[in-house]
Amino acid sequence: MSTDPKAREGDSKGGKHTARNIIFAAGGGLALVALGTLAVELGLAPTWLTGEPVQKTAMAEETQHNLFNPPDPADIPDDEFGAAVQRGMAIFTNTGTNAADHVGNGLACSNCHLDSGRQPLSAPMWAAWVAYPKYRGKNKQINTMEDRVMGCFSYSMNAQGSPAGGPPPHGDDIYRDLESYFYWLATGAPTNVSMEGSGFGKVEKPEQGYDLARGEAVFAENCAVCHGPDGQGQKDLNGRYVFPPLWGADSYNWGAGMARIDTAAAFVKHNMPLSQPGKLTDQEAWEVAAFLDSHERPKDPRQTGSVEEARKAHHDGDETFYGKTVDGRLIGVGVQASAAAEVPTED
Amino acid sequence: MFGRNRKHDQPRPDENFEPYEEFSGIPMPVYWIAIALAIWGALMLYDTGKDVTLAQDDRVEDRAVQVSADLGEGGNLFVANCSTCHQPDGQGLRGAVPPLAGSEVLGGGPDIVARILLRGIDGPIRVRGEDFDGHMPSFASALNDDEIARIASYVTLTFSEAGTKLDPSRVAKLRDELADAGSFEGGAELAKLATSMSPQPLYPVPKMADAMTATVRDLVFVGRGDVWACASCHGDLGQGGENTPRLAGQSADYLAKQLNDFRDGTRNNESMQIVAAGLSDAETASLGTYFSTLRAPSNASPNLSADLARGEQLALRGDWALGVPACFTCHGSSGFGVAPDFPALSAQHAPYTATQLATWAGGDRQNSPLGLMRQISQALSSEDRRAVADYLASLPPVPAGQTASAEEATSNVN
Repeated sequence: MSTDPKAREGDSKGGKHTARNIIFAAGGGLALVALGTLAVELGLAPTWLTGEPVQKTAMAEETQHNLFNPPDPADIPDDEFGAAVQRGMAIFTNTGTNAADHVGNGLACSNCHLDSGRQPLSAPMWAAWVAYPKYRGKNKQINTMEDRVMGCFSYSMNAQGSPAGGPPPHGDDIYRDLESYFYWLATGAPTNVSMEGSGFGKVEKPEQGYDLARGEAVFAENCAVCHGPDGQGQKDLNGRYVFPPLWGADSYNWGAGMARIDTAAAFVKHNMPLSQPGKLTDQEAWEVAAFLDSHERPKDPRQTGSVEEARKAHHDGDETFYGKTVDGRLIGVGVQASAAAEVPTED
Repeated sequence: MFGRNRKHDQPRPDENFEPYEEFSGIPMPVYWIAIALAIWGALMLYDTGKDVTLAQDDRVEDRAVQVSADLGEGGNLFVANCSTCHQPDGQGLRGAVPPLAGSEVLGGGPDIVARILLRGIDGPIRVRGEDFDGHMPSFASALNDDEIARIASYVTLTFSEAGTKLDPSRVAKLRDELADAGSFEGGAELAKLATSMSPQPLYPVPKMADAMTATVRDLVFVGRGDVWACASCHGDLGQGGENTPRLAGQSADYLAKQLNDFRDGTRNNESMQIVAAGLSDAETASLGTYFSTLRAPSNASPNLSADLARGEQLALRGDWALGVPACFTCHGSSGFGVAPDFPALSAQHAPYTATQLATWAGGDRQNSPLGLMRQISQALSSEDRRAVADYLASLPPVPAGQTASAEEATSNVN
C-alpha cells in the first residue's frame, strides 16, 4: 500500500485509480473464483465445466436407452425360488465347478455371455428366455430352453470330455436352476418378441474376404495380452482360468456356434477387447475370428464317421473351416480333451 | 509495482515520517475479499466436515451391521470372505481351489481352521484325493478375532462332522502364538496338526534363498549412489505405505516391466525414474523376483472414507453401463493378479491405487496394455476410484509363493 502525497493530490485520476482498479479487479476475481469453487464443490456446476465423466454415462445411457434392463442381483428374492436363481447364477459363472460332471473344457457360460448373461449383444439370457421354445435348423425340431442349454453343454462346454461324458440328462436340476436364473433375469420382458440386443448381433462379411495372416496380426496386437500368445488363456496362481482358452483341448468344440466365423466375428466386434467393444473394424473382427477358428479344437460330438461326412451333415454352407484344408492340414479332426484326464476319480 | 513508476518524477518521500499512512484506511475491496474468503472458507470447512462425518457414520454403521445382524453363525462372513474361491456351497473350484465340504482338514475342528485363516497356506495340498497347488492368503490383517472365530465355527459346523463353536479368546491366543509363523507349508505341515488327513505331497524347497543374492540384498537394503535402497520407501518387507505401493507378492515380470518403463520414460515418477536409470536389465529382473517371493502381512487399510459396497461391486461385478468390467475379470479372483500384465491388487494401499487410477484417467500414466486402464479409469468418477481403492485395500494380501516349484514337488511324490 504505498501511497504518496503527490499521487493522492495531483495524480488521483492516474496512479491511484489504476491501483484501485487493479485491487477491485483482483478482489472481484477472487470472489468469483471462491464462489465458483463453492459451486463446483456443492455439485451445482454443469458437468461440462467440471470435467467429470458424466457425458460418458449419458452416452452409455443413450445407447442403452431402449435396451432391456435386467433386475439387480441384490433383489433376488429370499425364498426357495431365489435360492434356485442363486444356484443358477453360480452354475452360469462357475460352470466347471457347479456343473462339474458335464463340463469337458476350461470354460464357463459367462465367458461368452458376459456380465453373467446380462450384457446386450453378448447373447444375454433375458433375451434368450423370451425367444424359446423355437424351431432350430441346427437339430430341425422345436427346442425348449432345456433343449437349447443341453446343446450348450454338448458343444460349447464340450460335455463329451466331461466326467459324465455327456450333457446333463433331461429334467436334471442343473436345467431347473439355470432356467430359474434366466426367467428371473427376464423379469418384466415381453414374451415371444425379438428383443434389441439379443444374440451377438451381425457383422457383414467383408467384401475382400478374410486373411489368416492378417488375423494373426490382429490377434497378437489386441488379444494376446489376455488370452496368451498361444490363445490358451491365462490362469491365476491357484490354476484357475482368468482368461478363457480360445482353441485347443480346453476350449469349445467344433459343434459350437462360436466355431463359426460369422458368430465369432459378431461376438468379437461387439464385446472385445473387454471394455473396448467396437474397437476392431468389421474386417479385423472377421479376420481375427477366422484366425482363432482355424485352430484345432475338440471334435464335433455329432461326428460318427469321417470329418467330411460330418461336414456335409452338420456344417454345409456354414462360414467355417470345418472339413476344409488349411496349409495341407484337414481342419476338424479334433484334439483330445484333457480336462477329464486332469480330474482324478473320487475314492 | 506502480510505486516504482512514480519514483521517476517525484521526490523521494521523507524516510522518517510518513503521516499519509495514518490517513489511508484499508481499501474497501480488501475488506470484500477478506469477507468473501472467510465465508468461502467457513462454508468449505462446513461442507467437507459434513462429508467426512457422513462417510464415517456410514462406515461405522456398515461395520456394525456387518458384525451384528445375521452374522450370528458366521454365514455372511463366510460368503463375504471365502465364497469367491471356496464357493458358497464349499465345493471349491475344480483343479484350483480345494473343497471345504468333506475336506479331511476339517477333522482338526475349528481350531485348525482358525490357524489356517491366521497363517494362510503356500504349498501343495491333497484334499479328497485331488492335489491342489495351494495358495491361500492370510486373513490375519483382514479379520478380527471375533470374525475368525465365527468363520471357523461356521465352516466346521457346515462342512464337517467335527463342528464346534470356537471362542474369540482362543483366536486371540492363537494370533499371538502364530504372529511370526508364516504360512503353512502346504498339506505336509497341516497334516501334522490334522491326523485325519491323507498322506500329503512334499513341500518344495522355497525359492526365496535363490532370489536373495548379494547384489539384490545391497540394492534393497543399502542402495548404490542414485539408486536408493528400495526398503527406505517400500519397507523392509516390501509392504509399502500410503502412496508408496506394496511390492511384496507382486509378480516378478510385472515389477521388472514397471522398472523398465520408469527407466525409458514410459511411466512417470521422478524418484523411480532416477532409481531405475541406475539399474541394469539383470538387476530389474532379479529385484522383481526378490519382491515376488516376499510374503508380508497387509498394512493397508480402507482409509479414504469411500463407499466400500460400491467398491466391492466394481471389483466383483463391474459397472457395465459405464463400460467397466469387474476388476477381477482380468486381475484374477480376489485380485491376486495374472502375470505379467495384470498386477495383484489385493492389500494395495488405497491412496496409491486411487492415485494411479487418477493418473490413468488424466493421461499421466499410459503404460497399460491396449490402453485398457486409461479407458476404464476415465469411465469411473473420482468417488468410484476411491471406493474401489478402499475395497481392494481391505482384502488379504496375495499369497505369494513358490508357484514355479509346485510342479517339482508333485513330481517328487509321484
